Amino acid sequence: MSVAVAERSSAPPQHALRPVISFHGVSKVYPNGTEALRDVDLAIHQGDFCFLVGPSGAGKSTLVRLLIRDEAPSTGRIFIDGQEVSRMSHRKLPKLRRKFGIVFQDYKLLTRRTVAQNVAFALQVTRPGQRHLREKVEEVLWIVGLEDKLDKFPDELSGGEQQRVAIARALVHRPRIFLADEPTGNLDPDTSWGIVQLLLQINHRGTTVLMATHNREVVDLVRRRVIAIDNGRVVRDEAEGSYLREGTATL
Amino acid sequence: MRQIFASLWFALHSAGQNFRRNLGVSLAGVFTMGLIIFLVGGSLLFTHSVDTVLQGQEQNASHLKIYLSDNASLAAITNFESRLKTDPRVISVTFETKDQAAHQASQNPDIASALNVLGSNPLPASLNLNVRKLTDLSQFNAEAKATPIVDSTTPTDYNSDVISKLNTVITVIEWVGAIIAIILLTISIVIIMNTIRTAVYSRRTEIEIMKLVGATDWFVRWPFILEGMLGGLLAAIFSGAVVFGAYRLFVQAAQGNLLSVPFDVRYTVTLLIVLLVGGVAVGAFGSFLGVRRFLSA
Repeated sequence: MSVAVAERSSAPPQHALRPVISFHGVSKVYPNGTEALRDVDLAIHQGDFCFLVGPSGAGKSTLVRLLIRDEAPSTGRIFIDGQEVSRMSHRKLPKLRRKFGIVFQDYKLLTRRTVAQNVAFALQVTRPGQRHLREKVEEVLWIVGLEDKLDKFPDELSGGEQQRVAIARALVHRPRIFLADEPTGNLDPDTSWGIVQLLLQINHRGTTVLMATHNREVVDLVRRRVIAIDNGRVVRDEAEGSYLREGTATL
Repeated sequence: MRQIFASLWFALHSAGQNFRRNLGVSLAGVFTMGLIIFLVGGSLLFTHSVDTVLQGQEQNASHLKIYLSDNASLAAITNFESRLKTDPRVISVTFETKDQAAHQASQNPDIASALNVLGSNPLPASLNLNVRKLTDLSQFNAEAKATPIVDSTTPTDYNSDVISKLNTVITVIEWVGAIIAIILLTISIVIIMNTIRTAVYSRRTEIEIMKLVGATDWFVRWPFILEGMLGGLLAAIFSGAVVFGAYRLFVQAAQGNLLSVPFDVRYTVTLLIVLLVGGVAVGAFGSFLGVRRFLSA
């Protein structure tokens, strides 16, 4: 595995005064009594690259779901771009979600559509009548390195390539924040590394990236901000962290 | 504007595409919906036909003979007759003299010989009333009783029993028809809802992605609603044609029978339009309900 990380931005990220994502005392208790998050405070700035680490069931996915308002917090407040999303009306959600580009472990591609159609779909359903659709799709597929697979169907691609299509689809409407929930969960180490490099490249273009992961090697190699969650609590938040607490075997 | 057309095109295109891709499920839905529309249309037409026949009978029954007292003056009779003629509930009034009544009755030889034996004419003169509605007869009967020139022993030939029975039958048939139609409509909405839900379930990834990238609820909903409308329209066209054909056959078969059913063109055309509009509306509403669950988050 190469350590030649995609070149890092020479200048440190320009922190605007206001964080692009902020959590204030956020807790989430599910109706069955499970406490998924407890009293979480967080601030993520424009241009940050953050790893969200922790064991399964620690609350990583809940945090992602709260961000896109797939769920509402039980207590506390969440702000995206200065806008409170924790109490946002259902009608305003589509606009909020257009600020995000999201990818998941299971890609969520439409198997009956080609690569180009999958990517175009995201624009067709949010900005119908978009001009230069084909060019935009080709450009973003070029960024993820799939410019020669436009007319292939997802089944004809490898896992890594399918995840790249998902990334292209998430990127095509130029999101402010890129959320990746276990994007390398189904991939072998080499392919995973390729995906992480792609995410670093996206971050290098100014997009805030938040990646929830179990992938210890990747986190330790990249050395970026690490937010560790365990039992619903933020147990560690380091600017250039590793998967486990330095010198220990715990989070 | 460009955006609206693009949205419309997307909705139409994906509605058509889904209809074709899930042809089996779509056709099953169209078939069930068609069957129900056929039953609704059929029961409405049947009710209407029975109603028409009964109303014909009602028309025959809407006659009332008001017997006049022998010593009523001609002026008083003319006065009463013209008052009845101006009543909007009345179709016609004819005056029958004692002689005419005797002449009429004499056609029965027994009565003729009885009249001969009597030597005088005991039959009263009468005003023969034809009213628009059966239900008005009882009022005219009451009015006649209160009029002084009317024979006080037998004021009219009003038979409340037959009339009220006929009335009840008509009302019951109308209600039963309406209730059957409502039940069938409810069933069809539930069936369409479930058909669409199956279709929606097979496309949950697509809906999930649409929601994730920030498509509005209506954008997600429209293709399904159009798909439901298309199904409803097809079902209505087919079952409308079948109902129409069956009605013609029914009318032809009933021709020459005692209760001949008239072919009501206006009602049929109205019914076919109602079935078409209803099929489309029910298809749209069923889809709306079917897709709702997947949009709640």
